[in-house]
Amino acid sequence: MRKPKLLLLMGLVMSIQLLQAQTTVTGKVVDSKDGTPIAGASIKAKGSNIGTTTGIDGIFKLNVSNTSKTLIISAIGYGEQEVAVSENVSVSMAPSDKSLSEVVVVGYGTKIKRDITGSISKIGAKEIGNTPVTSFENAIQGKAAGVFIEQQNGKLGQGIKVRVRGSASVTAGNEPFYVVDGVPVITSDLSSNGATTSPLADINPNDIESIDILKDASAAAIYGSRASNGVVLITTKKGKVGKTKIDFGYFTGTQKPTNRVEFMNAEEYVNYFRQAAIGAAKQDFKLGLYPTLAAATTAENTFVESRLNRYSAGNNDYQTYKVNTDWQDLAFQDAPISQYDLSLSGGNDRTTFYIAGQYLDQKGIIARNSLKRYSSRVNLENKVNSWLSAGINLSFVRTINKRVSNDNAFATPLQLVALSPITPTIDPRTGLTSGALDLATGLPNSNFPVYYNPMLSVENALYNTTINRTLGNVFGNVSLVKGLSFRTELGMDQLNQNEESYNGRLTRRNSGSTYGTGFNASNQVLSINTNNFFKYNMQFKSVHKLDATAGMSYQNYKNQGNSVSARDFPSDEFKKLASAATNTAYSSSETEYTFLGYFARANYSFNDKYLVALSGRYDASSRFGKNSRWGFFPAASVGWIASDEKFLSDIDWLSFLKLKASWGKTGNAEIGNFASRGLFSGDASYAGNPGTRATQIPNPDLKWETTASTDFGIEASVFRSRISIEADYYQRKTTDLLLNVPVPGTSGFSTQLRNVGKLQNKGYEITLNTVNINGKKFRWTSNINFSANRNKVTDLGGQVITGLNVAKEGEALGVFYAREFAGADPATGDAIYYKNTLLPDGKPDRTTTNDYNQAVDVVIGNPNPDFIYGFRNDFTYSGFELDVLLQGVHGNEIYAAGGQYMTASGSNGFDNQTRDQLAAWKNPGDITNVPEARLFYPNGVNNSSRYIYDGSYLRVKAVTLSYTLPSSITSKLRIDRAKFYVRGQNLFTVTDYPLWDPEVNADFSATNIVQGRDFYSVPQARTIVVGVNIGL
Amino acid sequence: MKNKFINILAIVLLIAITSCQKKLDVNPAQSIDEKNALNTSSGVLTALNGAYSNLGNSSLYGGDIFLYQDLLGDAGELRWNGTFAPLTQIYNKAIPKNNTFVTATWLQSYRVVNDVNNVLSALGVVDASVKDRVEGEAKFIRGSVYFDLVRSFAKAWNDGTPSTNLGVPIVLTPTRDITEANQVPRNKVSEVYDQVIKDLSDAEAKLPATNGFYATKYSAAAMLARVYLQKADYTNAAAAANRVIASGKYTLATTFAGVFPASSSSQVPNTSEDVFAMQVTTTSGVNDFYTFYSPSSRGDIDIKPAHLALYETGDARKAFFVTSGGSVYTARHNSRYANVRIIRLAEMYLIRAEANFRLVTAVGDTPLNDENRIRQRVGLTPLTAAELTLDKILKERKLELSFEGQTLNDIKRLQGTVAALPWNSPKLVFPIPDREIIANPNLVQNEGY
Repeated sequence: MRKPKLLLLMGLVMSIQLLQAQTTVTGKVVDSKDGTPIAGASIKAKGSNIGTTTGIDGIFKLNVSNTSKTLIISAIGYGEQEVAVSENVSVSMAPSDKSLSEVVVVGYGTKIKRDITGSISKIGAKEIGNTPVTSFENAIQGKAAGVFIEQQNGKLGQGIKVRVRGSASVTAGNEPFYVVDGVPVITSDLSSNGATTSPLADINPNDIESIDILKDASAAAIYGSRASNGVVLITTKKGKVGKTKIDFGYFTGTQKPTNRVEFMNAEEYVNYFRQAAIGAAKQDFKLGLYPTLAAATTAENTFVESRLNRYSAGNNDYQTYKVNTDWQDLAFQDAPISQYDLSLSGGNDRTTFYIAGQYLDQKGIIARNSLKRYSSRVNLENKVNSWLSAGINLSFVRTINKRVSNDNAFATPLQLVALSPITPTIDPRTGLTSGALDLATGLPNSNFPVYYNPMLSVENALYNTTINRTLGNVFGNVSLVKGLSFRTELGMDQLNQNEESYNGRLTRRNSGSTYGTGFNASNQVLSINTNNFFKYNMQFKSVHKLDATAGMSYQNYKNQGNSVSARDFPSDEFKKLASAATNTAYSSSETEYTFLGYFARANYSFNDKYLVALSGRYDASSRFGKNSRWGFFPAASVGWIASDEKFLSDIDWLSFLKLKASWGKTGNAEIGNFASRGLFSGDASYAGNPGTRATQIPNPDLKWETTASTDFGIEASVFRSRISIEADYYQRKTTDLLLNVPVPGTSGFSTQLRNVGKLQNKGYEITLNTVNINGKKFRWTSNINFSANRNKVTDLGGQVITGLNVAKEGEALGVFYAREFAGADPATGDAIYYKNTLLPDGKPDRTTTNDYNQAVDVVIGNPNPDFIYGFRNDFTYSGFELDVLLQGVHGNEIYAAGGQYMTASGSNGFDNQTRDQLAAWKNPGDITNVPEARLFYPNGVNNSSRYIYDGSYLRVKAVTLSYTLPSSITSKLRIDRAKFYVRGQNLFTVTDYPLWDPEVNADFSATNIVQGRDFYSVPQARTIVVGVNIGL
Repeated sequence: MKNKFINILAIVLLIAITSCQKKLDVNPAQSIDEKNALNTSSGVLTALNGAYSNLGNSSLYGGDIFLYQDLLGDAGELRWNGTFAPLTQIYNKAIPKNNTFVTATWLQSYRVVNDVNNVLSALGVVDASVKDRVEGEAKFIRGSVYFDLVRSFAKAWNDGTPSTNLGVPIVLTPTRDITEANQVPRNKVSEVYDQVIKDLSDAEAKLPATNGFYATKYSAAAMLARVYLQKADYTNAAAAANRVIASGKYTLATTFAGVFPASSSSQVPNTSEDVFAMQVTTTSGVNDFYTFYSPSSRGDIDIKPAHLALYETGDARKAFFVTSGGSVYTARHNSRYANVRIIRLAEMYLIRAEANFRLVTAVGDTPLNDENRIRQRVGLTPLTAAELTLDKILKERKLELSFEGQTLNDIKRLQGTVAALPWNSPKLVFPIPDREIIANPNLVQNEGY
């Protein structure tokens, strides 16, 4: 403790020197609006060099010479004030443009928004907290420009797509890099049922203080090889010095599907399939299966009537449409949601703390789906002494998600809509759920109803995922010499997941086992991360400001898993595999990766007007071969605060103007852990004998995919900061794309991961904040954010990644590429397609054909929106607040992949049809877009624009009306604060999309390329809750 | 204290940074590097097992490649009413170039070819005691796969000139790297058949007479009999079939039901009649005949009255159906863990009978005796010599081997029709998968696509 003693001595000497002819001023600086102390405000005696800053409590003490008459008080984000010197000064500061003083979290540090030259979106706790959703990504949807968020469907804890400024990769990951309190978190999908889940759902949104999204290279490049898709920095709440605050929160409400789809009723269904029998007979006859049309018609009629009888539970009730079941009703359930929060926070000048717990109890709108999350968090920081502080941020979460099958499974509840409306829910022959028992065999029915009845799974199956997760870090800060400090962080994210499933005896038709099947899988994932870096902060001659950061980061991720499937249980009472007679599959697995990086950043500002930032990261990963293991990712940016120039400072209406530009390179390493190697895997046993097979063709040259980004931005606020605007234009060019290139299948492989090709994203973002009315009692503020991104695959080395969604040169990633549907041939009722083959003059042949193979694929739609936007209005009137958020997505298309069954002219089986199919072609001359109904003669169900719909929507995303009790009442109740609110989520959607919900991507097929597909996907939830927050 | 603290910190950091460098070398735990896979005898043997495993994939000998023949070749005897659109397309003889099942079968076939080529390339390290067997099994697999590929993706042998008709690309070396050399063109139909016969003949020569459930000398001979029959080379067909029968290693099951032993819960071993079958256990392998034909599974294929009417009264095979909810299903594939029967002895009798009858020979036995062996097993009265005709033998063959993936290949061989489509209609030949044409510009698409 030598040094502090010395300091003390020096201080004493100095104070003795200053004793002569001095006044001691003490005072407090507070915010004029809410009376909170302002820390770090600068107090200067006018005309001298004497000054100080306020402490955390807003209090300062300054000795001024007797000649000083005035103090100048300034704080970032507040207007400058002058007060007369007196012994006791109380200063109330009016906020100027608070947003400029906002502290923004950047990689390995924080910065004041005013000084930032990169592009970062910040979303604060107020906008995230108390949203009745499972995962925080839902809570920020529509709130950040350039950030496109889409939840796959309305199942709980399901994967959520987040795209920051478009998709930068075809094969490697496109999700941003998530960091919580400095620690990269596990985001890999660990689901075993074919539908992705999001490990981010384990984060309690109410613990989040802020989410900072690093969008351009200058902001993100410090995360180097993992920053191409943007970086999402999540900062959790910390305690503040002062009285301990106790906050209790509770909300409860209900959720309903946002929309329903109209299907045929019993009468329509029966008549439609009779019509389809006639259509089929014509085809039978044409194929030569029957000697006459009459014979074919008789055969098809007999067949259809026998099937209708079967689906009507073996009786003729269907003839009178006696049973008319709305199966869609059964797919959905009452879905209450409740959440309880309790937090304590506070601290003294040595120690601050934040302790919080939450219980979320949510049912899904889809039958059997529910989620419970128990979370706790402790964030502590202690100042050990004048140069050392240390702390811990730690959360433990337990999530229990009772899941349903993926969208493509017969067992998934929404596939109930495929069942016939003539089928009763309870089979009158048995008094049991339809499909539960075939009296002839004593087993569940094998061909009644038309498909496996998903209600049997709702009633007799389970799929429970339990996650225990510990996420946290310990850190220490050492101030070494003036301006130089060192921070070390050791973070850990431990995720233990157990999946348990059981399919009871009645699920036989689906599970394939008479005596039940069971499954159990565990994953132990551990990610360890350490960051060690120096920070340097110095001001020279009052005009040069430099702050710099340099250090290293290392991460090790390991996932060990095992799974067992078995069947044949003594009874449905026994669900553990210990009771299973036969095991059917078993596996254990292990995978690992490491990242090591060295990074540095320097920010320099001259006169607070001219800003320069340089950063770079030298990164290595185990994922790449030794020859190309390291990559360097530099970035540079400049900013000019023009409004501080003399020639602009006279313009009254202009409060602030900053111009900025940045360039940088970032990487993407989200590929398989061993993607560069030639591999033989040992998963090829044959009849009990071990086997190996070649599974991957080597590519020793595999290296990083790099995105070079350029950003030009402007930030301005006018009319005394009543209106502030931020606008950015960016270009992101990705080269050396990590691409699964299709190779000739005759090689024994279908793809090889190579660095081939280029793609680009270009776009602009505008955010507008306005204070429309700022009265004493009534205040109305608005926020508009608008972003447009154009994605284009510019070079794939001549390759096309085929499928319905394709990656194709000159097109946006994932465009729908299929035949162009031309409706029904008026003469025959055949589905017809535009040929679109190229004519000698280079134009497409617009004649039609009924031969699918004679037509060629063309771009029929784009799953990427033209633009996205959010529009938020906040009204406050004394204690009332009304907050309305509109959110929209425009210009994207959705492919209704389930249409091949449910909107199929009854030609692809006995699936109940959407009502629009009633318009099917019947007689020559009919002009319609619905081809002739032909049972089991698929008529226009192959991929084509028949199933393309406009996916644009405008959603009333969130409406919150709250009332905060006035202090006159709360003081009587002896509480600090009390707020009551009612909140609606996804209240209303304006869209032309005819199916359930336009925010959709079928969970079993979603990839970088496969986007915008709907396949029996559960719609989003419309939620209404009432809640209360009480502070003690 | 502070200085000490800083010194310790510096040392710890230095250690941490240097040790992190080493941590960048991470090796896979579930796979091994290519170069370590085939450098020992046991390594090659496990790679051979891997080839069987890939062969047993659902899209290949797990059943699909045979099921396609039943669906594409059907002319009103069965009704496909499943939800797998690619199979509906095949059943409707309207196959888009991007049919995902057809694509999967193509890719899987060449995956197996590459597996086998890997094995054959490493014969040098295989212990002498098993070397012939390994080579024989590998060539049996390769020959069989090329036979099914050329029958599915090219014009029939008897359709025009096999020496000019395009077959499928022949690849005989393992892939270690992808270069332009991998953009192989299609060989001619006759070249593929030549390769098939060469591989199968080598296999027959090298394989042992008994080899557990793995391919034997007689598996290869039986496959050869099939190949020669498809080529209408009846002399060789009869000879090959006779080698299988005369080996005495196989006997007909006593009842027709005995051909398809049932167990829903555990593996069923090969019967005495199975010459080659893909093994299905509770933990590996799949039987897609069960998947699609069985009412216990998806029950996607109803049998129509037109088929049921073909059987004579008293035929045990006529009763070998199950009825449920008004639909009739075949009972041949009702066991989830039944092995996928690829070749059984009854087929050898039928090949020998047909070939002998056509050639008016009696290699091994008379056609009448062979025919009656099959008839008597299903409870039918034996035919007299006067009653025996080629049509009778062919009908016997059809009924005996129905729903076992022979339909279309027999129609093509016998130049019949599939309802209104002639046997050589381009619609009865698969398209070369679209993805393959795009990835390999040297491939020429089939007629009609």
